[in-house]
Amino acid sequence: MPKCAGVPDIFRAPTTRSRLSTIKTKTSTTMSYTRTAQFNSRRQTNWGRNQNTVAFASAVKLGPVTHTVLIALMITVLGLIYLTQATRTSSFDYTASDIQTKIDELAAQKKDLEVDNARLMAVKEVQSSSVAKTMTTPSDVRYVTE
Amino acid sequence: MDLKFTRGSRNFALAMILIGIMALFAMRLFYIQVIRHDYYVSQADTQQIKPFTLFAKRGEIYTYDNGSPEKFVMNETVYTAWVDPTQATDRQAIVDALNKIAGGNTRKNFAQYIDKKNTRHQVLATKVSRKQAELLKAENIRGLGFDAVSQRVYPEGQLASQVLGFVDNEGNGKYGFEQANDDELKGKDGLLKTVTDVRAVPLTIGAKNINKPAQDGKNYVLSLDRYIQARVEKSLADGISRSGATSASAIVMDPQTGRVMAMANFPSYDPTLLATVTDPALFNNDVVSRPYEPGSDIKTFTVATGIDKGVITPETTYNNTDSVRIEDITITNASKGKTGLRTMQYALDWSLNTGMVDIAKRLGNGDGISRSARDTMYEYFHDRFRLGRVTDIELANEAEGTVVSPDKTEGNAVRYSNMAFGQGMDATMMQVAAGFSGVINGGIYRTPTVIAGSIDDKGVYRDAQARESFPGIITPASSATVREMVHQSHYATYKPQNEPAGYYVGGKTGTSQTIENGKYVSDQTIGTYLGFGGEVNKIPRYVVMVEISAKGKMMGGGADAKPIFNDISNWMIDYLKLQPQG
Repeated sequence: MPKCAGVPDIFRAPTTRSRLSTIKTKTSTTMSYTRTAQFNSRRQTNWGRNQNTVAFASAVKLGPVTHTVLIALMITVLGLIYLTQATRTSSFDYTASDIQTKIDELAAQKKDLEVDNARLMAVKEVQSSSVAKTMTTPSDVRYVTE
Repeated sequence: MDLKFTRGSRNFALAMILIGIMALFAMRLFYIQVIRHDYYVSQADTQQIKPFTLFAKRGEIYTYDNGSPEKFVMNETVYTAWVDPTQATDRQAIVDALNKIAGGNTRKNFAQYIDKKNTRHQVLATKVSRKQAELLKAENIRGLGFDAVSQRVYPEGQLASQVLGFVDNEGNGKYGFEQANDDELKGKDGLLKTVTDVRAVPLTIGAKNINKPAQDGKNYVLSLDRYIQARVEKSLADGISRSGATSASAIVMDPQTGRVMAMANFPSYDPTLLATVTDPALFNNDVVSRPYEPGSDIKTFTVATGIDKGVITPETTYNNTDSVRIEDITITNASKGKTGLRTMQYALDWSLNTGMVDIAKRLGNGDGISRSARDTMYEYFHDRFRLGRVTDIELANEAEGTVVSPDKTEGNAVRYSNMAFGQGMDATMMQVAAGFSGVINGGIYRTPTVIAGSIDDKGVYRDAQARESFPGIITPASSATVREMVHQSHYATYKPQNEPAGYYVGGKTGTSQTIENGKYVSDQTIGTYLGFGGEVNKIPRYVVMVEISAKGKMMGGGADAKPIFNDISNWMIDYLKLQPQG
């Protein structure tokens, strides 16, 4: 087949001859395949300038039942996604609640330590400490002025 | 195929019935969802949205120890352990666990309450600590529950308990600082209104959530200094032990700011053992709540009035005859025999009543206690020194006292002659100490306060706004003169013990008669001492007032109150690191 200059093969529609040869091949060989795609020239239908002249069209045709099932499936999936996200928000609440509980526990522990610290630093405790008991009154006090 | 119902066919009838049923459903749904919309929404909200109170934390109280805030009153969460007897299946496990973990906190014979099967809630132990509660929870005993309760913690125990007051079981401040500043300390509870799950865990979903955060109470820093307070309480206890008195009070304040550094009474109470207090009078802070006849301490005010009005100087003399007649009564001196021409300094040193009556006379026309003399005394005592008026210190139950106006019939010459040496009037120790501070600090009355500042949410200390002051109650020159007279008086009688040299200390004794059933009693006196201390040629750094008394005992200002003053004053000199002269 002569090639047209400037037009890649991929954009060319198969000729009648080439289709025939393909059919021949299919009938004459045991290794065969079935084409699932067809390339139709737009020239045969509606052709316009600056448009691709070849369009892909699936050979699989979906019936109304399949469409209905697919739409139902899509709605189900979307619903599941919505439910997952909504539940996820709730699960964050539980996480936040757990974290808040931990914060409260730590705050309570901190408070206990502060109370213990204040009790240990109480004037009476300090006065009765072993360090305080060994302290003596200075015999000679001298003052300096800055 | 043309699908058509044939009119009158069974299919047509069935279709009509179905359409009718659907129409009923639609109408019912319309009724529920549109017409009764609000009702059902509110029903759903009632089930799903729960309000939670966000409890505000009560503000903590700090002391101001040498310029540093230290925690003085704190909050602690403790637990009340209770049992639901109908759910308690293992009685022995509860008894064993409580005895082992919280034995000191259980009710007496607590096991009997587990057997009260016709009840649902029986308290078994109170004030269980968080650690104890956790250990008990870990035992996983059926029927045992816990309620968290916030309570005040007093790490210093009894220290300054009458100044602080306490918080009752309902969370209300009672007495002292807690009552006077209850609203600010309480804060404001918040509200969380939110959708919850079946376990009542709040969920954030929903536009109807309301989150109003709690406003925690204000953290106050008192002007009290823990170390001064502890020393004052020790000095009072020692003084009582020395003299055999039954009660004593003291106040230490900064005359330059009006801040109270210590305030104590004896006897007192331990706020951690409130249930053991049988006498509610122990909750009173006598320094602010109990007016008394101040007695001879007031002579410093009479002298200040005379000097400020220019009618006397320390060297002004009068003829002391040990008694003076005012209208139908005779006023006599407690210290007799100091007769003759005496100076006003001498009259102050020996606390001669006749000298003070002489000053009162000079405030008028010199002949008796005239109306103009009484007006002047009232102006100084009541209006300037603010005796017989509440000081507005931030403590509960402050008493007003009484200084009778000369406009009243009772405000006659006899009363005012008595007022010149501290009788015939009532004032609290707080009023006397605050007025005296104004007299010796250069003549500025500073409203006394127990608040130094506050601690904000970030833990930063902020100074409190200065309270109102009243300059010019006497002139600075008059103040300096009175200060020197009081300084001289300090050493005239009852020599101070162990006072270090090189400091400027002054004071005046007071021995007041007491009134019972409207009459002076002869076997009971109150001893007081009112003084100051500081560096030479400077405004004093502290004012100390001490009062000591006992039922049926004669307590003297010089013999019993002054040693306590000296004890506190000598210690204050070291504590404040005052520089001696020479």
